[in-house]
This record gives sequence, C-alpha cells and structure tokens, in this order.
Amino acid sequence: MATTTAAVTLTSDLLSDNMSVTASTTCMKAGTTADGLDQMEYGYVDIVTGDEFDLIGATPTASKASKLYLKNHSTDETYFISIVQNAQAIGKLYGGDWMFIPADFHDAAGDIMITANGGTNKICYALFHEGITLVAS
Amino acid sequence: MATTAIISIASDIAPGFGGISESMTLTQAGNILDIDSTTGFQIRKLSAASAVDLITMANELVEPKDSVAAKIFIRNIGYKGVTDKSVGVTIGVNAEPIGLLYGGDWMMMPLTCIDADDITATPATDDTVVLEYVMFYEEA
Repeated sequence: MATTTAAVTLTSDLLSDNMSVTASTTCMKAGTTADGLDQMEYGYVDIVTGDEFDLIGATPTASKASKLYLKNHSTDETYFISIVQNAQAIGKLYGGDWMFIPADFHDAAGDIMITANGGTNKICYALFHEGITLVAS
Repeated sequence: MATTAIISIASDIAPGFGGISESMTLTQAGNILDIDSTTGFQIRKLSAASAVDLITMANELVEPKDSVAAKIFIRNIGYKGVTDKSVGVTIGVNAEPIGLLYGGDWMMMPLTCIDADDITATPATDDTVVLEYVMFYEEA
C-alpha cells in the first residue's frame, strides 16, 4: 500500500496560555481503511497577474479522497493569490502562506482556480489522489 | 512567538519525492504583523447527516475583517477515541463543498470571512463525529 502522511503543528500565543496542536493523518482512498492514495502530481509554477488559471489541468475523479497542498513561495508579503472553487471565493494565500485541504472535485466546475495579485507569484503544489482523467491529445 | 503552522508531508507514491516540510507565520494581509484575533479552540459534536454552520461569520463576537488573511484549521477527531477512516464530514464554504474530512483527517485553508461565506459541516452518516477547529483572523 502506498503511504502518504500529512502532519501539522499549530502554535499560537493569542490566547492567555499558549495553544499547541499537533495532528497527523494517513491519506486513504475514499471509503476505505486499507488502501492509501496512490497517485500524485507535484509542481512549481510562476503565476502571472491578470488571468484566472486552473491549478489542476486534468480533473481528478470526482468525490474521492484527494488532498491538495498549495504554498505561495513569493517572498514579497504584499503578493497573494486568490483561490476560487466553482465561482466561490475561498480565500487568499499571501507570500509564505500554505494550505492543505481535502478536494473532492465534485464536478467539472469544482476545479481549484487561482489568480495572482501584486506581481508574478511563485506557487508550489502537490495533489495526492486516486485517479485522474487525463486530457486527450 | 506569534501564530505558526508547520506542515510535513511524506509519501512513497513517487520514487524520489523528498517530502514537504514548510512553516508559515500567520500574518495580517500584506505585511508582516502577526495575525491578531482567534475564535479560540473549539469542538463541535455532530450526530446527523445534515449541514450545520461551524462558523457563522455574521455572528462572530469580534467582527472579522473581510477578504484578507484569515485561516481555519479543522480536524475530524472521530468520537470517544475512535476515528473511522471510511466515513467523513464534508466541509463547505457558503454551500460550496470543499472536500470530505475522513476520520483523523485535518485541513488548513484561507477564508474570506465575508458574512455569506459561513463554514459548514455535513456528516456523511448519522453516526456521531466530533470536529475540532480554530479560526485566526484580523479584527475589522
């Protein structure tokens, strides 16, 4: 079984006592406890301003257990990317920010779309999934 | 100290993949000032396969600033120490499903904090499941 684990350590001093949370998960295929995600796409791209781009070019099988990691490697803290799914704004990743989400790509409109702001943003992403419909040549 | 989040991803799917280890300090939009507000760490027990608001933006006691650098962490911790990897909870934003958090899974994502963009949770079954979550945001 292919094994992919994702761990996070989250700390904050915004409360009266320091908060520290750690979590780790093994990324499994949808609906199973015995079979891990076994395919992945990993990339590093420059995103120019002005247009909205589909981050994932081919659509992973819908309603599965895909996990998407995305980091804005821009070093200018004023640069950011806007993230949209199916016309719904999700949020912004400023230079240095990352996100990690389950992404079920529930239909063709469920792609993750990004738009660069401030200047050309440098983006690293990794999609762990269990099947993609490749675009025919 | 500030608010920081460190992610580590290891995988043997692709030969030669060296893994991912990245850290971020949660800052306010467009500068290096620390993020300044949080909901605090919370849990929510769900026992029905129907959508509920984890966070209703318009009801936050400290009004979040819209469309800046907010983040949310959510984790499915199962129930009474038992996590089921085969069923999960769909997390959504303003009724748009983002993805399914199976037992033990966690997520961290940016938010708009616009009033309409509530964070919803919809369990796949009526079995009891608990989510823990914390939102970090800028005060309006």
